[in-house]
Amino acid sequence: MSAPAITSADAGHHEPSKFHFYIQIAMILAVITGVEVVLVYLPIVKWFVVTALITLSTVKFMFVIFFFMHLRWDKVFCTILFFIGLILAGFTMFALLHLFGAEASKPLTAAALDFARLAVG
Amino acid sequence: MAEAIAKSAFTGKEHAHPAPSFALFNRPTTKTGLVGWLTTVDHKKIGMLYGGFAIFFFLVGGLEALMIRTQLIVPNNHFISARLYNELFTMHGTTMIFLAVMPLNAAFFNLLIPIQVGARDVAFPRLNSFSLWVWVVGAILLNVGWLSHFVPSWKFGGAPAMGWFGYAPLTSKTFTPELATDFWVLGLQVLGVSSIVASLNFIVTIINMRAPGLTMMRLPVFTWMALVTSFLLILALPAIAIALIEVMFDRNFGTNFFEVSGGGQPILWQHLFWVFGHPEVYILILPPMGYVSEILPTFARKPLFGYPIVVFSGVAIGFIGFGVWSHHMFTTGMGNVATAAFSLATMAIAVPTGVKVFNWIGTLWGGRIVTRVPMMFALGFIWMFMMGGLSGIMHSAAPADAQQQDSYFVIAHFHYVLIGGATFALLAAIHFWFPKFFGRMVPEFWGKVSFWIIFVGFNCTFFPMHFLGLNGMPRRTWTYDSNMGWNEGNLFASCGAYLLGIGIFTYFAVLVWSYFKGVKCGNDPWDARTLEWSIPSPPPEHNFAAIPTVHARDAWWYEKTHKDEIAKEKAEHIKAEESHGGIHMPDQSWYPLFAAMGLLIATFNFAQLRHPVMMLGNQVLGSHLPLALTGGVIFLSACYLWALEGPGGYHIHIDAEGKVTEARGDHH
Amino acid sequence: MSSHAATGHIDHHHDSTTSTGIPNKKLLWWAFLASDCMFFGALISSHLVYRMNPPPGNAVPTQVFNIELTSFSTFILLMSSLLMALAVNAIQKGNVKSTRTMLLGTMFFGCIFLGGQVFEFTHFVQDKHMTLSNSIFGSTFFTLTGTHGTHVAIGVLLLGMMYVRTFKPAHGGSLLMNFLHLLAIAVAAGVAFIVFVPGLLEITEGASLGAMLSHDAKPLAVGVAALIALVWFARTGSADVEFGEKNAIDVEAIGLYWHFVDIVWIIIFTAVYLLEYL
Repeated sequence: MSAPAITSADAGHHEPSKFHFYIQIAMILAVITGVEVVLVYLPIVKWFVVTALITLSTVKFMFVIFFFMHLRWDKVFCTILFFIGLILAGFTMFALLHLFGAEASKPLTAAALDFARLAVG
Repeated sequence: MAEAIAKSAFTGKEHAHPAPSFALFNRPTTKTGLVGWLTTVDHKKIGMLYGGFAIFFFLVGGLEALMIRTQLIVPNNHFISARLYNELFTMHGTTMIFLAVMPLNAAFFNLLIPIQVGARDVAFPRLNSFSLWVWVVGAILLNVGWLSHFVPSWKFGGAPAMGWFGYAPLTSKTFTPELATDFWVLGLQVLGVSSIVASLNFIVTIINMRAPGLTMMRLPVFTWMALVTSFLLILALPAIAIALIEVMFDRNFGTNFFEVSGGGQPILWQHLFWVFGHPEVYILILPPMGYVSEILPTFARKPLFGYPIVVFSGVAIGFIGFGVWSHHMFTTGMGNVATAAFSLATMAIAVPTGVKVFNWIGTLWGGRIVTRVPMMFALGFIWMFMMGGLSGIMHSAAPADAQQQDSYFVIAHFHYVLIGGATFALLAAIHFWFPKFFGRMVPEFWGKVSFWIIFVGFNCTFFPMHFLGLNGMPRRTWTYDSNMGWNEGNLFASCGAYLLGIGIFTYFAVLVWSYFKGVKCGNDPWDARTLEWSIPSPPPEHNFAAIPTVHARDAWWYEKTHKDEIAKEKAEHIKAEESHGGIHMPDQSWYPLFAAMGLLIATFNFAQLRHPVMMLGNQVLGSHLPLALTGGVIFLSACYLWALEGPGGYHIHIDAEGKVTEARGDHH
Repeated sequence: MSSHAATGHIDHHHDSTTSTGIPNKKLLWWAFLASDCMFFGALISSHLVYRMNPPPGNAVPTQVFNIELTSFSTFILLMSSLLMALAVNAIQKGNVKSTRTMLLGTMFFGCIFLGGQVFEFTHFVQDKHMTLSNSIFGSTFFTLTGTHGTHVAIGVLLLGMMYVRTFKPAHGGSLLMNFLHLLAIAVAAGVAFIVFVPGLLEITEGASLGAMLSHDAKPLAVGVAALIALVWFARTGSADVEFGEKNAIDVEAIGLYWHFVDIVWIIIFTAVYLLEYL
């Protein structure tokens, strides 16, 4: 089959080109990245910045998977399949961080250092 | 529906002239002989290969166990050295899990899944072949250390000896500097690749290649369990892959993941290992639960009781299984909250397991029980697995586990679930499906003899271990003093082990005899329920003359009771497929094998990275890196040529007498 | 139905020969990505766990990181994702020339990202004295970002293979030319991210252009030769190629992998870099 530039196949394509839509998404992603970097240096209370960063990253993440990776328009099973892995990974990370963050799991060197800092003042 | 039988347009080869081939090695066409087996993409042949290798390693693992039990038969024994003892219990565990039970399950996945979903092969036949040969590479890497006992100049330091779960910091270069550990790390990594690739293939096959009318809730329970197991594999293996990378980096590149002096924490290994390790045990047991769920209805002459709940319980077990891993770590000081959380989750997982047991009992209840050999092993499974589950529940209570951890009680528990559970079910399955794939029956009498010897031998070996454990005998000890009160228990257990060995030997000897001299059988010797019994024994390469349409659960049972309707459907399907050019079959290929060979060269040399290359006592190269890179290049080239080769394929036509003719060269 | 010979229309979102309507390859790749989530999840967990109670003598990330460079790298990778989506879009419309351009663009941006990583790693080791082995932060950081970088490199290789594939002639064609074409791509990409991009970044940090050209003369020359070869292959390639809309699924599959590598970086950028500054 020869390599057509744009063939009469156009007549069979019912959907409008997503070309401009993808460009718009990319612009939004770039802007969000810029906002993230600026946010880190602003004198705002820490918990707010952390929440904002995580939210913005999540928004970027969702944009890429639903639009660039086409999940928005594909069969929903693809989304389910990916989210099984994603949620399980998230749960495992959550559990591991809590396990290692527990008081009982603090390594002795860190505990000793904290104590030394407190003692010196 | 006729469309569903036709080939997908997505392979893109519907042209009048043959597309140019970028073949370095042409697609082999021979079906017999060494080349036929090395290049096969037929799921049935691949299943036989997995099964053959697995049975070999099962016997090797059994031999390793017998040596362990001989060492422990009397106190203060010196049958073997302490070092060799460590190698034996490490390799016994590694072999039985990764080289026996897992590939035996893989064998059944390969043999049964395509037929049970009404397909002619898996979704990606060459990828299937790749999984098999990569598995062989992993098996070689794990066992290559044994050779250094016989060839002194191969300084591998013997087989791996740090326990099958390779805890840090024992695996650091400080404590186990020998190459044995590096081969273990790479061997497991390679086996992980094999399993992930195979599982991806089966997931796509089960979800996407079902025959018309075969909804998910009409799938055989075995296929459902295989699907859940495949999901468990692809989601759990990455954790151990990371852990293995980290230990490999610690050993070879000086990182500090588990190096306390550098800020690392060895407990991280335990967590990452068991994040994999716990789902792994469900990976081992879910397919056996599937076999039993097929065998019980056949020999109780009744459909499975509570099919939806059995399926749902299997899914629940898989899902909850990801949340219980730290029950292997109750005694590591994780803190009260963590310990309590994992204890509760572990107790919760007993619920769906118990639900399954009740459903199996419900299947038997009111049925007409036919005590053929597979049924006896299946009944044995229910009882023995339940006993293992009860000792498991005892472990789930963290305070009790503080006493039981690292004692022989744990060994009793997991051998009850793994031998009494997984192995009994596997032995049942081998007996049950042997007639299908070899076309011959196994003699009932000798089958039953082997069952009873195994049953008695198994219980004599492992029941005493519950008491040995509660009386304080620790695991992984080379010897024990005579005044500990453990003498009779160990003597009894070792005698039981020899009896178990005789039983296993009898079982396989009978199978070998049956392969040559067993009574020939037809397609459905057991009057069974699922689609594999609808095709000839042994099955033809194309599986089905006509892709079936499934009307109900237990599709073959429906076909047997609605013969006219089915005969008309089959005639229609055969016509439809012929009109699309005939039955489409996948082509064989050299590249999966070549890619695996490249991987073997790469990993074998990468394990010995910093060591100089010696040949006949002289140093030839400063390090193994060039050889490892060569292996890598071979691997990548094979994969690239594999991609360039394209899916290929040919057609076959079956005439009215059932004669099969191949039509190659025509495009499709 | 789904044939394209007569009507020229392939439905890229539905394969009626499969039980779900999802093409087999697509299902395979999504399942693989679910697995890769667990892979990176375990790796990122290993890193974060060791940030909870840093031992004494550990490297201090805020003193080591160059957040401007990393932000730039993040932007680059996001743009490469855009080009990848456009490549898939192009081949789904049968536009082979546009597909080639977009594939090259994606590879180019991927090489800029990798070059940034090479530059970053070199500086961390040489100037900030943080190595794989002298601190736990070094161990986890380099392993995590190095594994991600390896994934990007594999992606660049896959894209290169797909690019070369778009030139397969409908008639004739030789395996040797195909290999040489791929070799040219690999060499060009390799020189780009190992030597060229890091060199340019050095110049932005004050190094002189002349010093870079003389220091890296040999590899740069090899890279230029590879680029010339690529232009030659592109010009002399047969106009009639055995590649078109029917191959869109393969480009889409690589696209899925590439986008996944991008979203992993989104997580790494936040969790490993940005959160350290708080």
